[in-house]
Amino acid sequence: MDNRPLKELLYKIADDQLILGHRNSEWTGMGPLLEEDIAFSSMAQDKVGQSLAMYTLLQSLGEREPDLVAFTRNANQFHNCVLVELPNSEYDFSLVRHFFFDTAEAIRFELLSDSSFEPLAQVARKIRGELRYHTLHANTWMKQLGSATQESMSRLQASLNLAMPFALGIFEDSPLEEELIASAVFAGEQELKNRWIKKVEEIIGQTNLSLPDVKAIEPILGGRIGKHTEHLQPLLDEMSEVFRIDPAADW
Amino acid sequence: MKSLDPRVRRLPPAVELNQTLPKSPLDQFVTFEVFVQPKDGKPFEHEGIVHAPNLEMAYVLAKEAFTRRFDCVSMYVVESGKVNVSPLTEGDTNAYDLIEDVPGQAGEKESYEIYHLAKRGKQHVHAGSVQACLPREAMTIAKQKWYPGKGVCNIWAIRTADIRFTSPEEKDLWLTLPDKKFRDAAEYKGGEKLKSFLEAKGQQNLNHH
Repeated sequence: MDNRPLKELLYKIADDQLILGHRNSEWTGMGPLLEEDIAFSSMAQDKVGQSLAMYTLLQSLGEREPDLVAFTRNANQFHNCVLVELPNSEYDFSLVRHFFFDTAEAIRFELLSDSSFEPLAQVARKIRGELRYHTLHANTWMKQLGSATQESMSRLQASLNLAMPFALGIFEDSPLEEELIASAVFAGEQELKNRWIKKVEEIIGQTNLSLPDVKAIEPILGGRIGKHTEHLQPLLDEMSEVFRIDPAADW
Repeated sequence: MKSLDPRVRRLPPAVELNQTLPKSPLDQFVTFEVFVQPKDGKPFEHEGIVHAPNLEMAYVLAKEAFTRRFDCVSMYVVESGKVNVSPLTEGDTNAYDLIEDVPGQAGEKESYEIYHLAKRGKQHVHAGSVQACLPREAMTIAKQKWYPGKGVCNIWAIRTADIRFTSPEEKDLWLTLPDKKFRDAAEYKGGEKLKSFLEAKGQQNLNHH
């Protein structure tokens, strides 16, 4: 069997998790309150852990070992969506990105828990509790700040509007996807996107915020084929700093 | 800020010297008590306190603040102000001896969770539930049930309806917790690494001489 469609799927999932995990870890020690700092850092750690599980699956399909894959590629070799590489900015943007991304991520793995590629289905079933927490955390914050003060609402609204075109880039089409759908590995980005819109509408409907009209928005694409913003390479440089000094470093 | 280096971006904006700001009116949250069940079949124990704007946020924040390491199968939170507290005793005095008995109340009974503190410096541990109309009545009923027993120095009574529990489907929140050894400092074996590093260094120095 041609592994390319499956590898492509695993790479984009893993790269999303690794890059967002690293990005969110930049809040460690700087979160808005102690408990939230701990929660956000823990979830960042979960994401990196999930990416390791994906890179390990890739290794079983003949790719290089996880550390090499994570630390030795350049920005144009990464398949993450642009949303996850954007700088953290203010906390409202980080929260909105977390809400958009993890809503998609939870649905993606819910779909994958029935995947015909059993090792992937196993990982999906295993991490469902982590993703339950990530979405509980995101939804609770959106409901809280989305109906609290004038400042919190206008900040979240501005970040929703700003992040939406990038969020739609999560569901970038791939010519290889047909095969995954046909072989029941994955239901596909379009199916995921439809479910995502419904879920996002449901949560935002419980706040004083309004969702930009997704049909009227041009998604920001390119991340899946290695076209990134200038923000990705500095992130990779920092993430791989220790590895480049000593590839055998162990801690 | 012009730099693309994420470390530079993370720096907080510089504060001007001698700058004073008025106190913001919304800078304090109330507190919530957090209870954790380490294993199925074991009682819930008081684990600590979180600050939060409401009960649901308290649950979300408590989960990582108190159950990101070690064993946990369930957790719940309640606003600190909803915990009814008995007098705290010293030495051999049983806190139940200081409870003034309240006669049985007429009306609809509600469930209360009773917690005992066996010893100062320990945590409150769940003893069981009682049905009562008032918190003080709940303590009286608890006294009938658990007094004298082993003796306790403090009793808590919490109305069950005030608690944000973990729902049955949320029990998978801790599914991967046992795998997260990287959150346990002992797992890094820092002492062993330091020892072998120093030994290797000592060997080097020996070779030099």
